[in-house]
Order: sequence, then C-alpha cells, then structure tokens
Amino acid sequence: MSSSRRSFFHRSTLRAFVSILVFVALWEVGARSKQWFGIAVPWVGNIPAPTAVLHVWMGLVRDPGYWQSWYLSLLRVLAGFLTAMVIGIPLGLLMAVSRNFNDTFFPTFEMLRPIPPLAWVPASIIFWPTQELSITFVTFLGAFFTVVINVLGGAESIDVRYFQAAQAMGASKWDTFRRIVLPATVPSIVVGSSVGMGITWNVVVAAEMISGGGSQAGGNGGGLGYFIWNSYVGGAYEQIVVGMISIGIAGYICSELLRMLGGYLTPWLRTR
Amino acid sequence: MFREHAASMQSRPSSEAEQLIVRLLKRTMPFQVISEGMLQSVAAVSRPFSYRAGEVIYRAGDKADDVYVVVSGAVDHLLSDTPTTVERNRVMHSGDVFGWAAVLGQDKRVRLATATCVETAEVIRINGAALIERLNDDPATAKVVMSRFATMITREFGAPAAAAQIVAPNRTVSDAPAAVPRPRGHATGLALTLYRISRWLRSPKPFLMLLGFALFLGFWYLSVQVWKLPRFREMPGLTTVFHEWFSKNPTYGLSFYTPEYYQDIWVSVRRVGIAFFLATALGVPLGLFLGWSRTFREYVFPVFEMLRPIPVLAWVPLAILMFSGSETPVIFLTFLASFFATALNTMLGVESIDESYTRAADCLGASKMQVFRHVIVPGAMPYIFTGLQISVGVAWFSLVAAEMVSGQFGLGYVINTSYTMVRYPTIGIGMITLGAVGYVTSALVRIVGDSMMQWRVRELALGGR
Repeated sequence: MSSSRRSFFHRSTLRAFVSILVFVALWEVGARSKQWFGIAVPWVGNIPAPTAVLHVWMGLVRDPGYWQSWYLSLLRVLAGFLTAMVIGIPLGLLMAVSRNFNDTFFPTFEMLRPIPPLAWVPASIIFWPTQELSITFVTFLGAFFTVVINVLGGAESIDVRYFQAAQAMGASKWDTFRRIVLPATVPSIVVGSSVGMGITWNVVVAAEMISGGGSQAGGNGGGLGYFIWNSYVGGAYEQIVVGMISIGIAGYICSELLRMLGGYLTPWLRTR
Repeated sequence: MFREHAASMQSRPSSEAEQLIVRLLKRTMPFQVISEGMLQSVAAVSRPFSYRAGEVIYRAGDKADDVYVVVSGAVDHLLSDTPTTVERNRVMHSGDVFGWAAVLGQDKRVRLATATCVETAEVIRINGAALIERLNDDPATAKVVMSRFATMITREFGAPAAAAQIVAPNRTVSDAPAAVPRPRGHATGLALTLYRISRWLRSPKPFLMLLGFALFLGFWYLSVQVWKLPRFREMPGLTTVFHEWFSKNPTYGLSFYTPEYYQDIWVSVRRVGIAFFLATALGVPLGLFLGWSRTFREYVFPVFEMLRPIPVLAWVPLAILMFSGSETPVIFLTFLASFFATALNTMLGVESIDESYTRAADCLGASKMQVFRHVIVPGAMPYIFTGLQISVGVAWFSLVAAEMVSGQFGLGYVINTSYTMVRYPTIGIGMITLGAVGYVTSALVRIVGDSMMQWRVRELALGGR
C-alpha cells in the first residue's frame, strides 16, 4: 500500500510539474512571438513573458516599497476579516437561536446581501473619514455576509432529534446552545471563514484599485491592488503580473493558515 | 401458521383495483414489510376516496376511524397540540400515510391533527379497527407493522409521545399527546405555493419582516435626514434616493422614467449573461473531465490550482492589455470568476458520486461513454447547479468591479461615475437596482435547477423503494 501510494504520488507530482512547465513554455512562446505554431494569438502576445516577469520580480524583492504593499494589503484583509468574524459569528448564532430575531432581521439581511460588496465602495468612501477605513469597511462587508450565512446554515442543518433529546433530558436553553448549537456550527464557521477569506482578498484588491490605494504617500505604498493598478498606469506591465502572483501567494497562504486553524478547531472531522 | 394464513388469503379472488392498492401499500413505511397475502387482506378493507383542493379531510378533535394513504396529489397535515415553536405542518405526497390516530389505543382515537387537501388528492381509507383486527390474525406481523407505525410517527411526524400510544398487539396503551413534526416534502404546483403563502400570511413572520424593514429604513431616514449624525450627513438620504428614483424629471438624470436607466441594466445583464453562458459551456465539461479522468486531472488541475488563488479582480489591468475595446475585458473578467466556480463545483460533484455506481455500471458491461452519460453526468448534477448559483453570484461581483475600473455603461459604471461626478442619490439607485437584478438572476438559476432535478426530489421523497 505504502509503496503504491508513493509511486502514485511521484507520478502525480511529475505530471503537475510537466503541466506547469508546458503552461509556462506556451506563455513564454506566445508572449515573445505572438503566435503558437503558426496560429496567431494576439491576446497572449500582449502580456509580458514569464522570463521578463521573473527578471523584474528579482529586482523588486529588494525594494522595500514592494513589501510595504504586501504589508498594507495584509493589514486591511486582517482588519476587515477579523471584524467580520467578531460581528458575523455572534449575529449568525443569535439568528440561529432566536426565531423572532431571525424573522425580524433576516429579510433585511437578505435584501442587502445581493448587493455586491464593491458597489459599496463609493458610499463607503463618502461615509468613512479616511480611505483606510473605507477600504477596510468594504473588505469587512465581503466576508461578513458569507460568515453569517454559513453560521446560520450550519445551525439549521442540526438534527431536530438532538434538540428533542436535550429537551427531554431537561437541558436548559444555555446548555442546548453550549452543547448542541455551538459545536455543530464550528465546522460551518470554519468553511464560511475560508470562503470569506477568499472574497476578502478579491475585495481588497478591487477596493485599492478603485479608491487609489488609500495611502497619501502614493507610489508603491498603497497595497498590492494599488501596486498593480499603478504599474498599469505607469506602463510597467511586468509588474502587473508580479503583483498578481504576489496576491495569489498571499491569498493562498492566508487560506492555508485558516485551514490549519480550522482543522485544529474541529478535531472530530480530521479523520474523514 | 402465518404461511397458511397468507395462502388462504391469496386464494381469494382480488380485483385489479385491489392489486393497485397492494402495490401502493408495498411502498409505504408501515406496510412495506408485510406479506402479499396480508396486504391483500388489508386492501380488502380499504376504500378509495378523492378530495378537492381546499377540502378539509378531518379536523383535530374529530373521532379517528380511518387511516389514510395518499395515492396522488398533496395533503397538508397540521398537528394541533405542540409544545414548541418548531413548524408543525407537513405536506404529504404519494405513498405517505397519515391519520394514524386511528390505530392508537381504543380510547385515544381522536384526531391530533387537521388534514387539508392542497391539491386534488386521491387517497385510500382503511378503517383502523378493521385494520388492527386483520393484523391481529397474525400477531408477529401485527407487532412489526405497529412498531413501524410508531417509528414513522416519531421520525416523520416528530411525535414520539403519540407513537407511544400506538395500539400494541396485546392492546396496552399509554397517554399524554405531544407533537413536534419536522417539515418534509417538496412543493408541487401552484396550489401548494398559494397554500404556503396563505399559511405564511397567518403566521407572525410577515409582521416581523416589516418591522425589520421599518427599522432599517427608519434608521437610514432618521440618521441622515432628521438627526443629521456626523458622518451620515454626507450620505444620500432615503427620501432623496426614492424621490430621484421615481421622478419624471430627475435632477441627476437617472430614474425609472429615463431610457438610460434601462440601458445600463440591459448592458450589465447582457455582460453577465454572455459570461455566464461561456463559463457554463466551458466550465461544466472541463469539470466533468477533471473529475472523470485521473490522468486528465493530474495534467490539468495543477495549472488550474495555480491560477485560482489569484483574485479575479487582480486580472483587471491584464485583461485590459490582452483584449482590445472596453467590452471584451469586462466580459472576460466576469467569465473568469464564473468559470472557476463552475469547473470546481462540477469536479467536486463527480468526485461525490458513490464509486459503487461506476463499478456496477462497469460490471454490467457499460462502455466508458455510457458510464459518462448515465452515471457521471446525472450524478454530478446537484453539485453543478450549486456551482452555477455560486457562479451567478461571483459573476455580478466581478462585473461590478470590472465596470467600475474600466468599461462604459452598466450599473457598476453608474455607481462609480455618480461618485466622481458627485451625483450621490444615483449611487443609491444603482446599488438597489444591482441588488434586485442580482437577486432575480440567482433566483432564476435556482428555479431552473430545481425543475431540472425533479427526479432527485421525487427520489428523495419516495425513498426509491
């Protein structure tokens, strides 16, 4: 078993390597010659080649402004995400526990939910005194709705028989909440927060692009979204791709960390 | 002894109608375990009935004499005495058994629920006393049937206390009715929808909903226009937005009466439509192949996974560089978001298929193509539709961003230019419209998905047995 698994692992790693290599090679060829084996591919021809991107990236690694962008975006993501968790989880639980509260506020919540978070950007800029706060607010909205919906969904999928059993055995309201509702919603909180994290990165990038970075200093100091936009405006096309890859890496690291934390919080799901 | 009994029953001539009843009973929860002979014996004491929509079959408190089995149509079953606020009604469809108060202990045969016909329904009625008498011909079978009745009452109607009073073959009874049924069953037809609406209107829900809306809108109005709270003062007020929206001659040039408004909606809807169509047409087959062929997945999935963590909106400048014009980049960005969601969910759908299905098909000599067509595609369907719903949502999400950054016309563009041109009430109009249009499109996808997966709904309802 273990030997077959290892050989399988080897083969799949090899194939992944091959596929990524082919992808990068096609990109390189397409970007340099604007054609693939005689077929013109103008849209690939318009983007910078991977070797050029790598070259620019190597230069940027030594630039503190680049790392400043990382830091600013990360800070906004964390601020928005944590606020969404702190407000969203109790709200979701409250809706799950109290029928009247749910009947009163859920329709309003559902009315606001279909409005994409980015549509809030202008309103948010008008409302909040600083750009920093308005970007964080939009980031918060992105994760907030997902977190609440997931908490609520998790609570609604609890088997009624658990409540019946608890009631039959004389459990108090608090006991029911503490022993049934809370543990049953932890997995969906984990799922909701990892989905929310993905949305948060999406939103932060767009908000930074639309609002112009938020930093009065300008230049490379406005977060990764602004870094990309600024590179586009300045004609540094290689930097656009560097920015995209950086955001991809940052988002991936955040989701992985969250997944690890989620696995730690839900040990009973680990074996499945 | 039982065998002899069954044989003697089978010798009795049975009509075609009785055969149909036997077949129906064979599908019901309490009767499915008993022998053909006993079923015929039960069928002999049953009478077919039909009810029109809206007709009350019985009311709580009535004397309970018959047990009912639904043949067709839909019947609403509402338990009267409930200690908790959990929903008490349940809609019964073909194969469901109700009116089980008729098999409770002798002095307990009083209706605990009100049964109302929702859709023209055909039922068969079986006299409870006669049923128990017939069943008692064979105590072993009677015990099984009664215990299955008890299980059904507990599990499907959530009334364990009532189940405890079910008549035992040796006729012992207990007391104290209580009921907490769980809602089950799916909507079929207009009658059922109307019925649900009327039930909803009679509950406190609409009032609480209105209270919620009033609180929200009231806060908006008061904070911006009456109290003029520090930061709220700058925001477009509730009445300003709605006045502008319904104005024949809007101050900022956008309202229900201006053609620009509909043009912007149309442009956005068209972009989402094209992107969603392309994403579905490419994403579903890709997802199916990714899930179906391990080789294909090992080669393609790494690239897919490499590109996926990049937020769609980070593609904006690159999309503008790649495609000429202002329309194609916006559609490309919208497409990209939908595409990843659709392909990934389809792949998960294929992976969720029980492996024994493909093995069974292989054993029965199905070709690869047949397995794909008859196992993989329908098996992945529920996940595909979940994916499509997510896909519509993210399509709107990225459309707004793309329209804000580049692009002309469209609701995202309206919101952004309203900000830069200081036409604040129009921002409100744009946001509300965007929410409404987005909601309608996701609802459409959900409705299409539900109607295409009727087979699954039926399968779940009838348990396939």
